[in-house]
Amino acid sequence: MTDLSASGAARKSSLVTLDDRTRRRNAAERRFRAYGVAAIATAALALAILLVTIVGNGVGAFRQTFVTIPVTLDAQQLDPAGNRDRGEMSGVLTLAYGGLLNQSLRQSIEGAGIEVEGLTDRDIDDLISKDAPAQIRNRVLANPDLVGQTVEVAVLTNGRVDGYYKGRVSLASAANDGNTSPQQLALADALKERGLLATKWNWAFLTNPDASDQRPEAAGVGIAILGSLYMMLVVLFLAVPIGVAASIYLEEFAPKNRLTDVIEVNIANLAAVPSIVFGILGLAAFINFAGLPQSAPIVGGLVLVLMTLPTIIISTRAALKAVPPSIRDAALGVGASRMQTVFHHVLPLALPGILTGTIIGLAQALGETAPLLLIGMVAFVRNFPAAPPEGLFDPASALPVQVYNWTQRADPAFFERASGAIIVLLVLLLCMNLLAIYLRRRFERRW
Amino acid sequence: MNDMSIMERAVSQTDIKISARDVQVWYGEKHAIKDVNIDILDKTVTAFIGPSGCGKSTFLRCINRMNDTIDICRVQGLIALDGEDIYDRRVDPVQLRAKVGMVFQKPNPFPKSIYDNVAYGPRIHGLVRNKAETDEIVEKSLRGAALWNEVKDRLQEPGTGLSGGQQQRLCIARAVATQPEVLLMDEPCSALDPIATSQVEDLIDKLRANFSVVIVTHSMQQAARVSQKTAFFHLGNLVEHGDTDDIFTNPQDPRTESYISGKIG
Repeated sequence: MTDLSASGAARKSSLVTLDDRTRRRNAAERRFRAYGVAAIATAALALAILLVTIVGNGVGAFRQTFVTIPVTLDAQQLDPAGNRDRGEMSGVLTLAYGGLLNQSLRQSIEGAGIEVEGLTDRDIDDLISKDAPAQIRNRVLANPDLVGQTVEVAVLTNGRVDGYYKGRVSLASAANDGNTSPQQLALADALKERGLLATKWNWAFLTNPDASDQRPEAAGVGIAILGSLYMMLVVLFLAVPIGVAASIYLEEFAPKNRLTDVIEVNIANLAAVPSIVFGILGLAAFINFAGLPQSAPIVGGLVLVLMTLPTIIISTRAALKAVPPSIRDAALGVGASRMQTVFHHVLPLALPGILTGTIIGLAQALGETAPLLLIGMVAFVRNFPAAPPEGLFDPASALPVQVYNWTQRADPAFFERASGAIIVLLVLLLCMNLLAIYLRRRFERRW
Repeated sequence: MNDMSIMERAVSQTDIKISARDVQVWYGEKHAIKDVNIDILDKTVTAFIGPSGCGKSTFLRCINRMNDTIDICRVQGLIALDGEDIYDRRVDPVQLRAKVGMVFQKPNPFPKSIYDNVAYGPRIHGLVRNKAETDEIVEKSLRGAALWNEVKDRLQEPGTGLSGGQQQRLCIARAVATQPEVLLMDEPCSALDPIATSQVEDLIDKLRANFSVVIVTHSMQQAARVSQKTAFFHLGNLVEHGDTDDIFTNPQDPRTESYISGKIG
């Protein structure tokens, strides 16, 4: 007793001066906060670098270089029978259109008085994209009355000329390049000076199908967007109802016994299974066993359903668990049945959480690549799929697979396309996340 | 004729509403309630008192089978409401709970409007057919819970926005609206301040006219104030029960005496 009071007296100190212990404790706290700020800063920096790189590389995909020339659509060549019949006119191949384009371009160059030393015919012909004749042909077939007229058309230039104006190609690199030449670039500069050639906004990137290795300038994400959208439809209509129903049953109705424990553990494990495994499963089950077509959004969608289900189930169960038990007691106490309790009281309160989980699951599915590679979604698809539901069985691509596909190609112009496709994918993901936030706000504490 | 009805009234007032015989409850391995035998009278307030964990809430939750929702809970013995075994296999607990209402320890109004809180029970039990009938039952229940004057102008506002005492009275109105025969109250005042408590206690006294009320309470003063009958639980046993006045002035069992004099609990 005396010892205690003695030591108490000895330790008596002023409140104004900090003792060692307090100083050390405060220092530790300051250090910890600094670590936190550093971690956030690192993450923000990484994100900024990612965005700057992708936008820097990819924004070019949304702009494309066009040369605008008048083209005389010669009736003799394009419609030999002379009756403007689409069926007969489709017998005329792109070769004829290509010839017309080249001729028109040469006339324009002469008309503008452009002279470039050492310019060959091949330089002139190759200035125009290999995809341009097909585009003119499609336009004429869509509107046969154009035949015989002279129309002003903006046609794509080849990827090298386009790259020249985006800084990818220089006169020095063109000298060693089999696909372009310094003379061709000089010609392009001369055309640009006279206002015949310009780099413009390019909607076609969003609507065009993929294009072959020789024509990066014509490649677009149209089919990939459609394919991704179709797969999201499949996921939305299968994974969400199944996942939510399964969670409600497991959380609210199922008895807690060994069987439900095993199911619970397995769902948690499924969420951690690498996605490529689901791809192999899809290949074996849906294509080899069930005989569904390859490259089809239905198969991709089903694989993504399997992959997304655990995520949706886990987040839905968490949302249901978060509803206070007092609400269930209250409902049961006034004589509501279990189902009335769940549907009248628990579910409305859990809705924001369920929606958020679902959208995160969908976003995860939207960005998934690996399983789609295994079921043939990486195929080169030029034909647009039909409208759903039939279109679900037509071959299509998907955005992340398209990115993967383009990064594999040799021409650096495709790298720009890949970055552009990533921008599209990120914008879609951002929209979904904004939707999740909006729904959360909208349904949270609404009474 | 008039005398007869008074006679009948006298008889019905002392009617046994609920009778429990040899009731045993296990939570898994834990024997929570041991051999409880008690008769609960109609139009009477019965208080269950006892130290924490003595099983009084558990027994209360047996009376409307709320324990069914707990997987590990097992109930044995007989509990009869008006002579019918409520644990009979043919009894639907949902129907039972419409007859035996419950008010919980923590006020738990639904996150809906005041009106919907009260109207919910009548709606799901089909007691109302149209808006006018619903309005009527809502008003009657809120008046019955002594809440009408405070909320009549804001029936569409959320029930969760009321004060604690108002919320608890809303919960009582909600329970009363389904027109039950028995009202179970699990420490209804433990989360309330003294003023709200006295309002709820006044209310309980009024409710006695129409219902058999069973109230679990930690406060012996409250038991003495509101109840006519008191049952003392200790370690899962029903130690003693009888008229409230007798229990508090002349306890038979030494454990009861130590509890009410503050020596245990």
